[in-house]
Amino acid sequence: MISFQRRSGSSLGWNVVCYSAAISGALLASAVLLRLSGGDPARAFTALIVGAFGSQGALLGSLAKATPLLLVGLGTVFAFRAKIWNIGQEGQVFAGAMAAYWVSFWIAPLPGWLAVCTLALAGMAGGGVLGLLAGALKTRFGTSEIISTVMLNYVVMYLLAYLLDGGPWMATGVTVSYHQSPPIDPSLEWPILLAVGAGKLHVGFLFALAASAFAAVLLDKTSLGYEIRAFGSNPTALTFRGTNVRRLLLTVMLMSGALAGLAGAGELFGVSHRLRAETLLGIGSSGIVVAMVGGLRPSGVMIAALFFGALESGTIYMRLKSGTPAGLVSAMEGLVLLFFLSAAVATRLQIVRREVHA
Amino acid sequence: MEDLLNVQNLTKRFGSVIANDGVNLDIRKGEIHCLFGENGAGKSTLSSCLYGYYKADSGEIRFKGEVVELSSPADALRLGIGMVHQHFVLVSNFTVLENIIVGSADVGLLLRKADARRRVLGLCRDCGIDIDLDREIWQLSVGEQQWVEILKALYFGAELLILDEPTAVLTPQQSDQLFVILDGMRKRGLSIVLISHKLREVMQSDRVTILRKGKVVATVDTANTTAEAITALMVGHKVTKNVRDNSVTPAGEILSVEKVSAVGEWGEDVLKDVTFTVAANEVLGLAGVAGNGQKELFEVLMGVRALQSGGFSLEGSPVTAPTSRQILDSGVGFIPDDRFLEGLIPEFGTAENLVLGWQRSPEYCRGPFLDRRKLAELARRKIDEYKVATASADLPVERLSGGNAQRVILAREFQHARRLLLANQPTRGLDVAASEFVYEKILEKRAAGFAILLASEELEDLLRLCDRIAVMFKGRIMGIVRPEETSLLELGMMMAGDASQLTQGIQ
Repeated sequence: MISFQRRSGSSLGWNVVCYSAAISGALLASAVLLRLSGGDPARAFTALIVGAFGSQGALLGSLAKATPLLLVGLGTVFAFRAKIWNIGQEGQVFAGAMAAYWVSFWIAPLPGWLAVCTLALAGMAGGGVLGLLAGALKTRFGTSEIISTVMLNYVVMYLLAYLLDGGPWMATGVTVSYHQSPPIDPSLEWPILLAVGAGKLHVGFLFALAASAFAAVLLDKTSLGYEIRAFGSNPTALTFRGTNVRRLLLTVMLMSGALAGLAGAGELFGVSHRLRAETLLGIGSSGIVVAMVGGLRPSGVMIAALFFGALESGTIYMRLKSGTPAGLVSAMEGLVLLFFLSAAVATRLQIVRREVHA
Repeated sequence: MEDLLNVQNLTKRFGSVIANDGVNLDIRKGEIHCLFGENGAGKSTLSSCLYGYYKADSGEIRFKGEVVELSSPADALRLGIGMVHQHFVLVSNFTVLENIIVGSADVGLLLRKADARRRVLGLCRDCGIDIDLDREIWQLSVGEQQWVEILKALYFGAELLILDEPTAVLTPQQSDQLFVILDGMRKRGLSIVLISHKLREVMQSDRVTILRKGKVVATVDTANTTAEAITALMVGHKVTKNVRDNSVTPAGEILSVEKVSAVGEWGEDVLKDVTFTVAANEVLGLAGVAGNGQKELFEVLMGVRALQSGGFSLEGSPVTAPTSRQILDSGVGFIPDDRFLEGLIPEFGTAENLVLGWQRSPEYCRGPFLDRRKLAELARRKIDEYKVATASADLPVERLSGGNAQRVILAREFQHARRLLLANQPTRGLDVAASEFVYEKILEKRAAGFAILLASEELEDLLRLCDRIAVMFKGRIMGIVRPEETSLLELGMMMAGDASQLTQGIQ
């Protein structure tokens, strides 16, 4: 008889088996989905890979798409490792972009790098304050952060809709459409690190790399990281052992929101150069997926962000080349998450064969 | 007598750990059979195999002579093997009768209460259980709730009843009553398996099977042996019991608690005018049945529960609006009763747990960073000094036995505490040898000038260790007595709320 048991340690070989199976499974399920919707899976996948890695430009495009996902993913790691369920990354990304946009009105005369840093800080402040608000609702009134963060998403999104649809931030003039702001001052656009063809990588990528190193060191090596991990495992003991857990919770929500806010600021000043809801939509939720697939470890999140960045970048090309509907891309992301989470469970088990006695 | 249950060569492994190693056991009809052993000796695993919660890896179980396959507790129950857990599974706003018949096989759409009542009353009469079937569970004492659990199993037709440390939650009087009931059941021909590590209970059984490190050491007739012999079999050597050293006498006051009151979640009184002092070189015992305010008192003293009125002072300086940070910083050590909930981070290893509460102390940090080398060094030293059995300093402590987890807490608290030790049930769930290790360390600290507040349900232990004993009942201190002038019976009466036994009040 064959059965599963909890594994006492982790084994690298078994992890590789599990995750390979997850990738194959996700591809297979996606192929079935593509076929069912009338597409040609082989052509679609080829287009996907070419679009993601086929050229230097494509590669840069993938890295650019990975940048906000990595930032949001890292922010999610802080929260989820503490078992604080911040799922308001969508709103925090928006808030970051909005705060940075607002600050940009006042800083045009600043020299280049100082402007970049100010805008990045403004973005972090925007996302951070939104996270902090949800945290304060929890520490003051015991409101579940799951509810409050999701509800704050709506508040922020409708605020942006008001500001852009006839509100003070709407683009004016004859040629512009609704739902977006005028372009930002070109002197405030974030520097492009590398550009090949349509593929451009802005300076936010460096911020994301720095944030990864910061997160890895903080979680593993510092007293604060110790407290975050301890809070996730057993907040009661931490309370008895002299840690102010309310302050800790607020700190985590602040950091988590700030990283999402930075992602929003980067998308606005590094990529779209206009404040628009569509360009920001989905980054927060994909970032959560990235954090989960990355096993809530900064190193894992880097790999996952790259994977999902490539997926997003490649699917743009895939849509053009093979006419795959856009909705399928989200469905594929969902499938990847499902298979990876299953694989994560499987890595903790082992298969045992037992003799049965009659 | 014939064997009701017969276990042959049963082995159960968890990963690389062998919890039961070739165990042989036979339970006769109409006997009280005690499973006795240290923590981790395999008592619980064995009983879990017997009632179908775990499936043995190999070996065979015969019930009434037939080989049986137990894959779930439901299987076991069908055969007539029932279990009473330490934590009761009762619906608190159902009556006794409803709790007993709920889930029983012969319940159709309608509860046939009249028939059921007749049957349950019959069972009560047979076993000498005196209980009102129409009272709701929340109105009952813990001891009575346990009777309901027993009745439930009997109503299901259990012929073999397994009780997992049944007296852990009872007063001495309630325990005595329980044994009267068990005796009644035995006379009716029922068999009882009693898991215990209390010698007092073991000696009331007919036979005892002693387990050590997963193996059966011996099965002996209780009538032909002594408590000392059983203990020696259990630990493999002789155990010397610690007693308070009377040449050390209490000196200056360290902790002074003055009229402390606190309320619970629904505004009910959990502590009412609690007043006492603990001096240097003194162990003040805190006796009481669990749930009479001891936990809340420790929470107040640790600064995690708000005071309603009153206050306390440490070494003469009043502590106002205390926080756990402030308490720890003023040199207080704390051993909680629920070690995995209040004392440890289960996913952390021994090394990280040894600095829990001190993770920001300059002693273990370089700037914002934890000094991993110092942590490893501390862990190496403490694992050695306290004999913590762990595969590595980073193995999550949730994988340690209760006794080893407690050693980690002791090591941490004794490393950092300076004047006062608050110990709430420090030996809960520990076996004789592990308990004595804890007591030895506590008495060392007493000799070194510590003030110690020691709450325990083990009254014999309090009597031999403490300078004075305070008894708590319903959030109040019933009285403070000296052990040399007090009997077990008197303590028990006070724990049940009867202060008339208090012949002399000593403060």
